Amino acid sequence: MSAAAVTRARREPVAPYADAPDHGPLRFLHRLNPLAKIAAPLPAIVALIVSRDIAVPLAFILIALVLLLVGAHLSGRALLGLFVVLPVAAAVLAVSFGLWTDASRVDTTPVLFQLGDYRFYLGSLLVGTATSLRLVAILVLSLVAGLTSSGPDLVRALVQQLRVPYRVGYTALAAYRFVPRFGHELEVIRQAHRVRGMAAGRGPVAAVRRWLGYVVPLLAGGIRHAERVALAMDSRAFGAHPTRTERHLVPFRVRDGVFVIVFWLVTALVVAAGILRPFPFLEAP
Amino acid sequence: MTAPVLRARGVRIRHDGSERSTPDGVGLEVRLGEVVLVLGPSGSGKSTLALALNGLVPHAVPATLEGSITVDGVETATTTVAELSRRVSMVFQDPDAQIVTGTLLDEVCFGPENLLVPVGEVLARAEAALRQVGLWERRGENPDRLSGGGRQRLAIACALALDSPVMVLDEPTANLDPVGIDEVYAVLERLVQTGEHALVLVEHNLDAAIGLVDRVVVIDREGRPAFDGPARSVLRDNVETLVEMGVWLPSAMLAGRRLRVAGHPVPELPLTPAELTALLDALVPPESVGGADTADRNVGVAPAESAVSVRGLRVVKGRSEILHGVDLEIERGAFVAIVGTNGAGKTTLLQSIAGVAAPPRGTVEVLGIDPARVDVRRLARTVGFVFQNPEHQFIRGTVADELAHGLELQKAEPAEIERQVGRMLERFGLTAQRDAHPFLLSGGQKRRLSVGTALIAGAPVLALDEPTFGQDRERAAELLDILSALNAAGTTVLVVTHDLQLVADHASHVLVLDAGRMAAYDRTEVVLASGALEAAGLAPPPLVRAFRAAADPAWHALTRLADLDPAALPSSPPTPSVPSWSHPPTAPSFASGTTSPRRSDATTPSPSPSPPRAEEAP
Repeated sequence: MSAAAVTRARREPVAPYADAPDHGPLRFLHRLNPLAKIAAPLPAIVALIVSRDIAVPLAFILIALVLLLVGAHLSGRALLGLFVVLPVAAAVLAVSFGLWTDASRVDTTPVLFQLGDYRFYLGSLLVGTATSLRLVAILVLSLVAGLTSSGPDLVRALVQQLRVPYRVGYTALAAYRFVPRFGHELEVIRQAHRVRGMAAGRGPVAAVRRWLGYVVPLLAGGIRHAERVALAMDSRAFGAHPTRTERHLVPFRVRDGVFVIVFWLVTALVVAAGILRPFPFLEAP
Repeated sequence: MTAPVLRARGVRIRHDGSERSTPDGVGLEVRLGEVVLVLGPSGSGKSTLALALNGLVPHAVPATLEGSITVDGVETATTTVAELSRRVSMVFQDPDAQIVTGTLLDEVCFGPENLLVPVGEVLARAEAALRQVGLWERRGENPDRLSGGGRQRLAIACALALDSPVMVLDEPTANLDPVGIDEVYAVLERLVQTGEHALVLVEHNLDAAIGLVDRVVVIDREGRPAFDGPARSVLRDNVETLVEMGVWLPSAMLAGRRLRVAGHPVPELPLTPAELTALLDALVPPESVGGADTADRNVGVAPAESAVSVRGLRVVKGRSEILHGVDLEIERGAFVAIVGTNGAGKTTLLQSIAGVAAPPRGTVEVLGIDPARVDVRRLARTVGFVFQNPEHQFIRGTVADELAHGLELQKAEPAEIERQVGRMLERFGLTAQRDAHPFLLSGGQKRRLSVGTALIAGAPVLALDEPTFGQDRERAAELLDILSALNAAGTTVLVVTHDLQLVADHASHVLVLDAGRMAAYDRTEVVLASGALEAAGLAPPPLVRAFRAAADPAWHALTRLADLDPAALPSSPPTPSVPSWSHPPTAPSFASGTTSPRRSDATTPSPSPSPPRAEEAP
């Protein structure tokens, strides 16, 4: 391994666009090609979009969480998000979606509570839960790649395996650096406008006007910054040749292929089980 | 003598949509091991010329190029920027706008990788370049974690990694604090010593650059070539012409010129602080210098009415405390410079005083009001705040509306608003632009408008956050002249700044912040003489250094150019015949074609002369 790789391993991950750190063989997800981690859950995500029951999303959530727990080095914040925020959000979504369902389709199920004329049926809750779990499952499946891949590695993989032109990929990466800068600039603009007395007025109309006022200075600053970055990149021969030297190869290895195929097989099993419906009590009407 | 590696002849560049060409017929020759400084007032086309040297003009910037530029035998007009990058590398002003990747190492490798250099050589070049700027140990870090000076050193490393004989640096230190400027010049000095590079430098900070420069090319206001020759003789032989042109000169040189005017024998103008010290040692020191200052110190005399009083101010942002209990009393009519290293809490203190970020209740009082408790209207009548970037605070569609906004907020009569706006437009030389969109003004006009909007509601206290940061010296001087005139008319001015020479020349008081605590607050000359700057990690300005190094202690109390002028009273406005920091009114510089060139700006009187009356709020 090069000296650079040693330094990378030693260092804390300081930014989402820095290189992927290596956390050892157990945390295998970090060592997989980002494209494999995107390709593997894709069929599952498609299945979730069309599925209607509770068992299938639940199964995928469990699989993804186990994968992340074993194969990924998770920060405290990520753990908190996965095991505290996500369940709460799922519960809130389940009830909210339940309130939206057409009560005439589920009025054969037991009533859970009643407010005046409004009856909330168990069936509504089940339908809401199914929808909410589907969303959560899609999210958690995306996090398999999202929590374990770095931006530069994804771009490199896109360039190296999918033959995406590097000019597109690296420009997107450079643009990613704009985000914190814009955030800071927006904060300053808001301060400036508040001091000048633009904050006056409540309600959505005033809010829209206020935000429109932020857009012009933000855009003006953004365009100027982008022009400067472009000149600096041109000066360093960006786009000189159809390809560029790659110091970091992000190969698609056998293990990437194995990961994808195993994941697809598991997906097929889960979907098949869902169609055969071995657990009728987990079905949404 | 070796053949020049870069040769420009009769270069005329006209930006698309512009009437005139700047530069207009400029020539330039640079050899290996040489440093050529391009000088000229803003708007003379220095930066445009710099962009032409690596082909960005005309290949990336829409402009017409006449004349010829050859680098290493290759004509820039017919070669791509990418191909030219093997011969000319660039370092720009804004360090943030040059970083594209996530680590220092990736950043330095970026250029050679684009040129398809083999991996082994990319790494070898990157290591050599990073070692040369002293950043190899930090190669794995995110560039965001570097200081401004560190990021600009990284930009130099990136240029070095391209392995090109010529390096062009366009205002490389304009966005840096004094510590960063020193870092960058230390790196450049080592670079020049290798003799392997030819440097073209566009720079206003001559105090830092002059020791490095071999030759000077001067462009005049119209973009025509004025002088070209060895740095010392060009500057010394043409000093009066250069001052008249509005070219910035080393402060040691201006000091020597003052001494000569004051009747001292100055055989040869000094260029560096060390030369100034040597000159001082050869002169008979004046009897009265410095004495006057101690006499008019009004500490202990009748306590002046206080404009700002701060009691035990603690400010917490996120999880860390930025200010650890600041106590401060600023008298009415003071011109206070707040200085300190990055992160010392300067901006936080200023924002708390001006109510931009509400301080804890009861800790700040500005002319009898607590910024934490009053509404925006009352606040705007009391203290005006000028943000670092004027664009951030513009909220209306025309210059006149922008000025009227503050008065509308105060519910003033329309006729009164009209009258006040007209007066403010005139005072800041913006009458011709009254219906223009604020964003389409030139840089100097934007800055003047932002000061006007802060003042129009009649605020007797004006707070400015790094108003000269990233600006060229000419605009900085223009702004400081405005502030001095306002201050002379009674406005209390608070400025956060990095530019210590500006501090020495304009501020009546200096407040030194060190790690969230007030290290010193007193009259400027007292603070400069006390060593509080050094204790807070700041280097004193070049003139102070030079005066203090003189053998005769009679010089030590001097801090500013004006001190050398026996006739000049501290309050008398500088006039062009006795030039000091003020320069003749100047043409605006047009930043990357976003503004329409208006010659009218050059003819408007410097907005300082008419002493502003205290505006009464209706």
